[in-house]
Amino acid sequence: MAATRSMRLFTLLQKELQEYRFSLLWTPLIIAGVLSVLMLLSVLLANRITAMGDTFLQVVMAEEMGISPVITISLEDDHDEDSSAQSSSAGGAAELRIQSLDEPLPEEDWNFDREWRFEPQQRDKPEYESEQVGSLNPALHLVHGLLLIVLVLVTVSYLLGCLFNDRKDRSILFWKSMPVSEWEEVLTRMAIALVVAPAIYIGVSLLLQLVFVLLAMLLVWRMELDPFDIILGNIRVADLLLKQIGGWVMTALWVAPAYGWLMLASAWARRAPFMVAFAPVVALMLLERLLLGSDFVLTAVSNHLPHFIGGQGTEVFYFHSLFWKQFDFFSLFAGLAFTAASLAACVYLRRYRFEL
Amino acid sequence: METIVEARGLSRSFADIKAVDNIDFRVPTGSVLGLIGPNGAGKTTLLRSLLGLSEFEGELEVLGKDPRSQRAQLMEQVCFIADTAVLPGWMRVEQLLDYASGVHPRFAREQAEAFLRDTEVKLTRRIRDLSKGMMVQVHLALVMAIDARLLVLDEPTLGLDILVRKRFFEQLISDYFDQERTIIISTHQVDEVQHILTDVMFLNHGKLVLSRSMEQIEQQFVQLNTVGESAVKAQGIPHLGSHSILGGKAIIYEDIARDSLAPLGELRTPSVSDLFVAMMGGDQ
Repeated sequence: MAATRSMRLFTLLQKELQEYRFSLLWTPLIIAGVLSVLMLLSVLLANRITAMGDTFLQVVMAEEMGISPVITISLEDDHDEDSSAQSSSAGGAAELRIQSLDEPLPEEDWNFDREWRFEPQQRDKPEYESEQVGSLNPALHLVHGLLLIVLVLVTVSYLLGCLFNDRKDRSILFWKSMPVSEWEEVLTRMAIALVVAPAIYIGVSLLLQLVFVLLAMLLVWRMELDPFDIILGNIRVADLLLKQIGGWVMTALWVAPAYGWLMLASAWARRAPFMVAFAPVVALMLLERLLLGSDFVLTAVSNHLPHFIGGQGTEVFYFHSLFWKQFDFFSLFAGLAFTAASLAACVYLRRYRFEL
Repeated sequence: METIVEARGLSRSFADIKAVDNIDFRVPTGSVLGLIGPNGAGKTTLLRSLLGLSEFEGELEVLGKDPRSQRAQLMEQVCFIADTAVLPGWMRVEQLLDYASGVHPRFAREQAEAFLRDTEVKLTRRIRDLSKGMMVQVHLALVMAIDARLLVLDEPTLGLDILVRKRFFEQLISDYFDQERTIIISTHQVDEVQHILTDVMFLNHGKLVLSRSMEQIEQQFVQLNTVGESAVKAQGIPHLGSHSILGGKAIIYEDIARDSLAPLGELRTPSVSDLFVAMMGGDQ
């Protein structure tokens, strides 16, 4: 029985993915493919064609300065490389002997026969803030954020269509001839919006980030630097996964009521679910502003939109420690209660008022 | 005989129009019931109530269940084809079969595939690219592969050409129907289904006008085909209705001694459609 039940769940989800295969499956894959190709081209051709390539390069350069502030300028005269290497090592050996006798020279005053080194006392100030330097995570978050923005747009369009399109083409009469309850139908769609589609997009995003890391390693290797040290050494994997996956869990809890409302519009609309979803909310906000001069509706709604999650969230989609401190439990639970109510209303509408 | 559908005082109103008006009926297991009525008579509303697609007042039991609250369970035992064009167009035929196998415990995929093998429908085709006739074959294949106890067909052949219609009902009866199963059909093309019906119900303005088995119709109604003088005489006898035939009249009587009519012309059992027209329209 458990086998058939999971088979059933799989079938219901599969059907949604088949119907919306372009927006839920192909879109992230195409975006990832295009970005990978652009990155690959930038690595192979000029290293600097795309913004992504630039970002990596800049981070890598800054990194290089941060790790080793020693700038070595080697002035070579007519000697070839081989002989200068020999003579410098010979000179170094001579110096060591001298040092053991005398007081060691300050580092910056080291000298070689045919080379000199300039070693500044102060580190060059890198142009990046200290938080950003030392990690490639922000660059990877950029890629992730891009995919999640697409995810939210795609999900909004999915939710507005998911309880409307089959009513419009009357295929709802077929779906209703199958032993699937309205609760199953509604919850399946919410699961797609909150869990399955994000899992696909985040999965693709992680793969894409992996590709980027590999390409960045290729780029660094072409610059004759050590890719393992410079790239891998600067990615904090655990932190990345926590922020990106944990970030979605947090986002999902907050956007659930907004998604529930969109589904309700989809189930309610006789035409244009988009208008049904947005017109009343905008009207309510304007009315409140005009009549009461307050922003209660605006605040309540915007708390549950991805960019403003939980009030002040600035790091879109990322899990960050500050989040829990500014956590508005009332808003969260009110939102979840609203989600449950919307789902129940969707079920009712789908059961008794499905004709356009 | 076991009862599969039982309704008492079934009503359904839309605004001030009574689409179904206080109907009582029962459908015995193993019957093929024809639901006949003009457009707007309430056939679709009545069927939708049976299927849990519409709210209603009164009592209604289908397979002992309440279709309003138990539609999903009911659909394991009940199949319906609401219309020819309701299969989701974006799906491929094989995806449709995948779906049915995944959610329907009584669906036998091999059977549907075997049925489709005899048709021109390829499993990889998208449903929206199929012709209307092929779509019906897909739907029929799906329905016939479901081991259901009740099949409800609401105008299943509307808009199809005569060859497809004939094939549809032939396959339904030869490959699907048995004594365990019950079929309810609503259709305008009464003549094409008459030979497979065991029971008929006439519906007009939401009211049940007639509910009989075909045997009862044979016993209770008689049609007299008559010409000339005797036609005038025959029309003097109280009758349900009449229509013109070549050179005379066909008059339909209810509960009349056949001996008294025999001298006036040829006696026969009226067709369901002629009976329907007679009851609705009287003399024509």
